[in-house]
Amino acid sequence: MPIGYFSLILHAHLPFVRHPEYPEFLEEDWLYEAITEVYLPLIFIFQTLHEAGAKPRLAMNVSPPLCEMLADPLLQERYTRHIENLLELAKKELHRVRQEDPDFTDAAQMYVDNLSASLGLWNDRYKRNLINAFRELQDEGVIEIITCCATHGFMPLISTPEARRAQVAIAVTNYKKHFGRQPRGIWLAECAYEPGIEDLLKEYGIEYFISDTHAILYGDPRPRYGVHAPVICPNGVATFARDVETSQQVWSAEIGYPGNDLYREFYRDIGFDAPFEYLEPHLHADGNRRHLGLKYHRITGKTVPQNKKGAYIPSLAREKAAENAMHFIGERIKQAYLLRETFEGHPPLVVSPYDAELFGHWWFEGPQFIDFFFKKLHWDQSEIKAVTPGDFLDSGINIQRQQPTASSWGEAGYYKVWINEGNSWMYPYQHDAERRMTELADRFAVQRPESQVQSPEDPGHWTSDIGLVTRILNQAARELLLAQSSDWAFQIYQGTTVEYSSRRFQSHIHRFDLLAKMLENSSPPYEGGVAASASSAEADRVVLSPDQLELLTELESRDNIFPEIDYRVYQSTNSFTN
Amino acid sequence: MAANIDNDVLDAEIVTVSSGEGIRTEADFDEITERITAALNEDEAEADPMAAMSPVFRELALPKLPVLKRENRARLQMQTPNRLYFYWSLKNNPYQILHRVFGENTGSYTLILKLINTTRDREELHVIDAEGNWWFSVEPDSTYRAEIGFYAPNRPYFRALYSNEITTPRKSPSPRVATEADWSIPAEKFAAVLDVAGFKQDAFDVAIAGDDADGARTASYAAFARLVDRPAAEFEGFDADDIRYALTLLAGGATLEDLRFHVSERLFAVLQSAIDRITRENAIAALKSEFEINDEHLIEEYEEIGPAVFGSSLVNFPKRMVKRSRDLNKINPLSSLR
Repeated sequence: MPIGYFSLILHAHLPFVRHPEYPEFLEEDWLYEAITEVYLPLIFIFQTLHEAGAKPRLAMNVSPPLCEMLADPLLQERYTRHIENLLELAKKELHRVRQEDPDFTDAAQMYVDNLSASLGLWNDRYKRNLINAFRELQDEGVIEIITCCATHGFMPLISTPEARRAQVAIAVTNYKKHFGRQPRGIWLAECAYEPGIEDLLKEYGIEYFISDTHAILYGDPRPRYGVHAPVICPNGVATFARDVETSQQVWSAEIGYPGNDLYREFYRDIGFDAPFEYLEPHLHADGNRRHLGLKYHRITGKTVPQNKKGAYIPSLAREKAAENAMHFIGERIKQAYLLRETFEGHPPLVVSPYDAELFGHWWFEGPQFIDFFFKKLHWDQSEIKAVTPGDFLDSGINIQRQQPTASSWGEAGYYKVWINEGNSWMYPYQHDAERRMTELADRFAVQRPESQVQSPEDPGHWTSDIGLVTRILNQAARELLLAQSSDWAFQIYQGTTVEYSSRRFQSHIHRFDLLAKMLENSSPPYEGGVAASASSAEADRVVLSPDQLELLTELESRDNIFPEIDYRVYQSTNSFTN
Repeated sequence: MAANIDNDVLDAEIVTVSSGEGIRTEADFDEITERITAALNEDEAEADPMAAMSPVFRELALPKLPVLKRENRARLQMQTPNRLYFYWSLKNNPYQILHRVFGENTGSYTLILKLINTTRDREELHVIDAEGNWWFSVEPDSTYRAEIGFYAPNRPYFRALYSNEITTPRKSPSPRVATEADWSIPAEKFAAVLDVAGFKQDAFDVAIAGDDADGARTASYAAFARLVDRPAAEFEGFDADDIRYALTLLAGGATLEDLRFHVSERLFAVLQSAIDRITRENAIAALKSEFEINDEHLIEEYEEIGPAVFGSSLVNFPKRMVKRSRDLNKINPLSSLR
């Protein structure tokens, strides 16, 4: 019997960034960088550990938008071009630094080796679809994959029960599509919780969710084992909350491991250091410089200016990652003894959730740290046992019943990051769309009116299209879901990519509005069209102009998330069930 | 002179646009001028990437928020346990509504926003327009509802619209202990549990409050009364946890400004009104007068780990103390020992 249990939880999420309307798009690089630096290395490490007999039990959330992007043929094709381009540049760089900057040779060689290996894994082993790799890891008992709100919607700021339900229902359906089974757990976006959300989770068969520390510590009644044991809500759904100590040790910008002087400096990148002419073949057609992922400097010191940073030495950084992993385990053992003593013999559970993108993207050596951590955990000690939340529920350890409190894991512990003076303007629009979506779903739930499309050549001629109303409603649901992504409000608050995030929110609300108006009583937006009219007796047919049909088709092509969606999930009655 | 300059310029343009053709007649001049105009227009078309787009693509290239339909809306959202956001709109002109209902006898009625704390039976009123938004300072552990209505002094109030209800969470541990033997935990031990969880501030607060909830409440009012030099009875409607939260933060070295938005607005107002008395020493003296604590418990300094983390998120980290002694025994309110 171990002294204590440890549960690592990685939250892998990116907003749905897919722009087929452009040949290249800067924000799509978020996905490509994460594949190269985070997902491929982690998958490879987990698989290798498993094959070596050191099965790393951990939970991983692969959010539905990320699943949809990883499974998307267009993005797979674009990523292939991206990594091929990067490998070509890395090879060119290796040749250059050998001549001009020998201090950087080790780092340049590392990039060639890593990228060559990644391209091989991508093409040959995983056949360009990392969903298959994650699924395989789960099926082999290595990781427990949990789901997330459908588009990372911030649940307490969603105004209708139907729109909240849709975030859960669509996530569960999407999980089943990708992973072939029912998810046991869910990562509530931003760990945002308010009492009552657990009822939705239960309705869709979710056994547990992840919350922030004070959800349990301030819950009612007082938690006997604090945050170091899960609790079960009155309706039977469990929650596992974040341990503060491990969070700070690994993540804090002030005291966390990633700030070590030997680790790779994130902000010095060849994309800004090399001459433009040299880089140009590897940039997007717009010629703008951007982070390319080839970085040759170490942090050196927090106060050292960027132009004084020393050369990155991969072997020294790797040693430091091993040292940090050893330290982390040592601290966990000490923590387990202290907790067990405080708990008078009850075995504690330390839950350690992080953004997956910390490991490899922000902290380049993060995947190595995880690799060393699980190896040492398996072979060098017996006090701590790695488990998933599902394993813990299955262990038979008695769990206290409690009502957790409203909370999130964001700054200051509640909702201010997502609703404040800078982004509160978003909510009247979002809430209006949520209400309209349910009105439309109700109206078209039973009777599908005849729908017709006006001929572009002969405005007096109409062609029947029995699936048109369903297509409009499903696409409207997609646009609403995409508008609800918490990422937009977050980035507006952070002051990063404000223009892009504002535009994305506006776009999806705008698109929802255009689609909704096709079904509501309204004036046609384009010349030549006949107003869509479908209310009660007057409207037993929905008619679209050629422009409106083109619009619908274009939106289906661009915002193609969740092809399996069924808009009836938004119905206000209980007739739509899982 | 000016005309000559213009012609010079035109000559130069003609050569470029007409591939070297010269100007021989006035007709040539007119034709070339026309071609220049056409060419200029062509250039404009090329420079505008949207010109060749279909109406659909133009629509999508210029996303715009739709004009919200005029409807009755009243939505309340929580930001923190101490702050709510509210937005509203009315479908019809409120003054036309008044006229329709009261005729000419609308008196001094005006449109107001009312926030009601249904837990503590308190309300606040604000004069408003037909649409807008408002940030409220509120108290934790309370249920709120906002209303839009018509108000006139000494006349009945008429509610026109009301919002959803929001319950603000506690921002401290629950005072309630589980009744089942397996999960029941005395304050002293629960303080240790909070301490090892990194919630030092709450550990200290739970320890000083002890298991005697009534005693802790009375002691909190008395300590606060001593700090601000006002009668304890004035504070009986205040949240005792909020009071102790403020006292222990001040005793730990926090400034009054640090407490803004972290305690209720009216508690903050009382502290502000006694600003000259708000010192760390006075807060310690006030706590020591009512709780069995000694200097050893209060020598720690707060060390706040900022919310910044590697990557793009800001994560919630609780305030913590350095040099914290884990000995949180026997610091109950004095009143419970009397």
